[in-house]
Amino acid sequence: MPKVKVPRKSTAIDMTAMCDVAFLLLTFFILTTKFRPQEAVQIDIPPSTSQIPIPDKDIMMFQIAPDGRLFFGLDDQNTRLALLDALSTNYQLALSEKQKQAFKLLEIWGMDIRELPAFLDKEPNERAAIQQPGLKIDTTGGETQVEDLILFSRRANNNLRIAIKGDKTTEYKSFDKLIQALQNRKVNKFNIITSARSKQE
Amino acid sequence: MAEMNVPESGAKKGHKKARSKKMSTRVDLTAMVDLGFLLITFFMLATTFNKPKTMEVNKPAKEEDEKKEEEPPIKMSKTLTIMLGSNDKAYWYVSPDEIDANTQLTLDSVDYGSTGIRKVIKQRQDEVQAQWGNREDLFVMIKPLPKSKLKNTVDILDEMTINNVKRYAILEPNDPIDSLVAIKINQSRK
Repeated sequence: MPKVKVPRKSTAIDMTAMCDVAFLLLTFFILTTKFRPQEAVQIDIPPSTSQIPIPDKDIMMFQIAPDGRLFFGLDDQNTRLALLDALSTNYQLALSEKQKQAFKLLEIWGMDIRELPAFLDKEPNERAAIQQPGLKIDTTGGETQVEDLILFSRRANNNLRIAIKGDKTTEYKSFDKLIQALQNRKVNKFNIITSARSKQE
Repeated sequence: MAEMNVPESGAKKGHKKARSKKMSTRVDLTAMVDLGFLLITFFMLATTFNKPKTMEVNKPAKEEDEKKEEEPPIKMSKTLTIMLGSNDKAYWYVSPDEIDANTQLTLDSVDYGSTGIRKVIKQRQDEVQAQWGNREDLFVMIKPLPKSKLKNTVDILDEMTINNVKRYAILEPNDPIDSLVAIKINQSRK
């Protein structure tokens, strides 16, 4: 009886298929990734059972920090530019091209509109280090900065939806001020951003 | 198989004719796979998958903007007023249809959650059903005080959805009773 010879197999494996899979997944993740935008303040959003997903575009975002400071942001860069144009004519801001570009890339900000040019002059990493004072809000009349932001942004893009991102511990007082400003501009409908939670909790 | 092409040496040294060697086209892909998975890991961790949700809020329009339509005022016995106070406490009362000097108002403080405010809403729904025949007639007035947290407002709006309350509104604590309540619980109303 002939001896059965067990052939010696190489331990090397064909990696081609594995490589294909790896890069397929990589492509998927690259395309779906949306990086977390830089934030002016850390905000911990309250949970709710609401299941409506936040729309992908046309968002006007207000953020309220735990201490009541108010921040503003638009998602679209062209709308931001249109807003800046309107602001510079109404608040007599003389803006250079560099400042405009800086505003175009500004995700979220909160300060007196008149202080914007000085803020935009700074380098991006310098800006991140600054504690922003929050939008100037005054609902009793006099200054209407927040109202103007709403008005000019809506002029730039009429489909804007208003989203309010507030911290869990934000006092209703500061939330109410913002709502007053919105209602002064006849906005009675808006969205509060919340995180998902199950009904049982 | 994926092996490195190690040039053979020695065996064919003596040959005069330099034959072009047939090279294998196989390349070792291990390093490439490693790199691929490394990047996958990075992007997986950087991705935010669960998008935040939104909760739609409708505020009643300001009265001076619109011509006030003469609607019959809502029967107070169909209502429930919830005031949101500080320290995660909610206060609720039902104001009577007619207020006179002898009116006694019971005010109760509860917390947010299934044993607190949810119980109150359910109980009120039952009462409204017993009195008016339809539990959806209940009108909940939500009056957050300045010191309450945003989380409280969201929680209450959530309870409205959970308990299927169709009619509710966020109002300012303007009622005279609200002032009394605010004084009683020692919080400013404005």
